Amino acid sequence: MPAPGGGWLTAGMTTRSEGTGISVQGLTKKFGDFTAVDDLSFEVAPGRVTGFLGPNGAGKTTTLRMLLGLIRPTAGEALIGGRRYAELPQPMSTVGSALEATGFHPGRSGRNHLRVLAATHGIPDSRVDELLDLVGIPAAARKKAGGYSMGMRQRLGLAAALLGDPDVLLLDEPANGLDPEGIRWMRGFMRHLAAEQGKTVLVSSHLLGEVEQTVEDVVIIANGRLARRGTMDELHGDPAVLVRTSDPGALGHALESAGLSAALDQEQGPDALRVGTGDLRQVGDIALAAGQPVHELRPLRTDLERLFLELTESPEHRNRNLSTGQEAA
Amino acid sequence: MISLVRAELRKYFTTRLAWSMPLAMAVLGALFAALQGLFLAVIGEFPSPDGTMIEPAAMFGEDAVARLVYTGAVQMGYLLALVLGILSMSGEFRHKTITATLLAAPRRGQLIGAKLASIVVVVAVNALAFTAGSILGGAITLSIGDLPLFPDPGGLLATFARMVLVLVLWGLMGFGLGVLIPNQVVALFVGVGVTLLVEPLLGLGITFVDQLADASKYFPSQASMSALDLFAGIDPSLAQSLGGSEDALSWWVATLVLLGYAAVMAALGWILTARRDIA
Ligand SMILES: Nc1ncnc2c1ncn2[C@@H]1O[C@H](COP(=O)(O)OP(=O)(O)OP(=O)(O)O)[C@@H](O)[C@H]1O
Ligand SMILES: [Mg+2]
Repeated sequence: MPAPGGGWLTAGMTTRSEGTGISVQGLTKKFGDFTAVDDLSFEVAPGRVTGFLGPNGAGKTTTLRMLLGLIRPTAGEALIGGRRYAELPQPMSTVGSALEATGFHPGRSGRNHLRVLAATHGIPDSRVDELLDLVGIPAAARKKAGGYSMGMRQRLGLAAALLGDPDVLLLDEPANGLDPEGIRWMRGFMRHLAAEQGKTVLVSSHLLGEVEQTVEDVVIIANGRLARRGTMDELHGDPAVLVRTSDPGALGHALESAGLSAALDQEQGPDALRVGTGDLRQVGDIALAAGQPVHELRPLRTDLERLFLELTESPEHRNRNLSTGQEAA
Repeated sequence: MISLVRAELRKYFTTRLAWSMPLAMAVLGALFAALQGLFLAVIGEFPSPDGTMIEPAAMFGEDAVARLVYTGAVQMGYLLALVLGILSMSGEFRHKTITATLLAAPRRGQLIGAKLASIVVVVAVNALAFTAGSILGGAITLSIGDLPLFPDPGGLLATFARMVLVLVLWGLMGFGLGVLIPNQVVALFVGVGVTLLVEPLLGLGITFVDQLADASKYFPSQASMSALDLFAGIDPSLAQSLGGSEDALSWWVATLVLLGYAAVMAALGWILTARRDIA
């Protein structure tokens, strides 16, 4: 429940219309002599959906847990709306979170799990039922949580996050374990939260494809360090398509006279052209009009996709705990 | 704070434990009180000072026998109370609900306070079930032995009140143990093992050490027996034949000792919880 808005009472505080942002400054966490998060700094803009990306073991969950006061940072600060989580007067009404490995008592029903959480904030049971309807498990939530599928657990976790009608949502790999239908539902849901309700959403994932259609900004980390951040458009760079033909010179000429940039792409072979557009149909039409055959036509990876692939594939960026032997600093 | 206590109570009342534990309390209370009654009111005989065998009621008085019978199960009772206390925190780690709990109640000191308060309520409710079971089991054997059921109602009421208090204090001790040892199985094992095995053995061991011979009366189980004040009005040397110690603590000192244990355990729980990373 949002706090009753009162003129002078809220003056100077972050109000709903301005939204609540997140700020991470010099955040570091060491487990023994292993550095899981390393001098990490970034901001999450209010009212936007930000993807928090990184390969397995990059430190995403650890960062989110520090934001939520579950893990004590070795150094640095993680603030939500300018405050530490434990200092928020009614935390669930400011921040809703669904973390990995959040458990449910197997003998307690999902509905009762939510009722327990609701009791901490004086939230009525009617709100619990409202949310169970919203996430689509009103009947199943009356059964014991021990028998829940992964999808039901994720939905229940999401309902818990939304209980206090928070301004900020922190979602840790919300699509994990969901089937394609579930993932589609989750994407639509996040978009709905950000677009229609103006909530700040920070959603983590180790798969770019899982969130790229949903998020506006991205923060990418690897080995606990910031790798890249920016808006989705900035990081994607300009779209490009690859077209393969028998006479690249002739087709290149036709494309250029239609106002598109075209260049030989040696990486892809002698017969490949890289065209500066995202529009496959236009390239195909131009080729047809020019009487040139098309052997292959597909979109090329964007800068962001290449960067992400590099991060996940290069051994030096893999989870250092998983790799064997001594790791080079 | 009140809302956190309410949430903790809701936690307890929404699992099977809410009815299985009081049931176990009542059944074990009845069983062991009846067993005690069997020996003290039905078949038991003691050698009297002149060598003949006499019944306990004749030797200790009907008041004392009733007290001893009704509290005959107290060891079971405080062990279960200990378990309740242990489960409060270690259950959160076992089922990984601690994350959700701390997200809803991030000020950990307040959470501990709420948990302690809820343990007092929950153990008190269970202790009532336990007392009811003990009264039932005890009364059956007392009446078989043709002894009055409530010879000294006021005194018995005080005994029952002390029994509830002792159980509550054990619940609080269990809480500290559950925080100290987040692995639930290990915590239960250690809690029950120390009470049933280590404490008696240690108590026996130190009787051979002069400087420590007195210490065992401060041990939790011994102090609990003293706190019940079962042997009021009985000659100390006679009390010994029933398992009381000769120079036992007075009931209120014993209560303070238990309170001390509970406070130390709860404080340990407090400090450890405040610092622990929940990963
Ligand atoms: N409590 C802990 N003790 C020791 N090491 C830890 C602890 N928690 C996390 N780590 C290590 O810190 C690193 C970062 O882990 P984290 O869970 O934050 O990664 P992640 O980005 O969430 O990965 P994933 O995509 O697999 O969820 C990992 O190498 C992990 O093994
Ligand atoms: Mg993770």
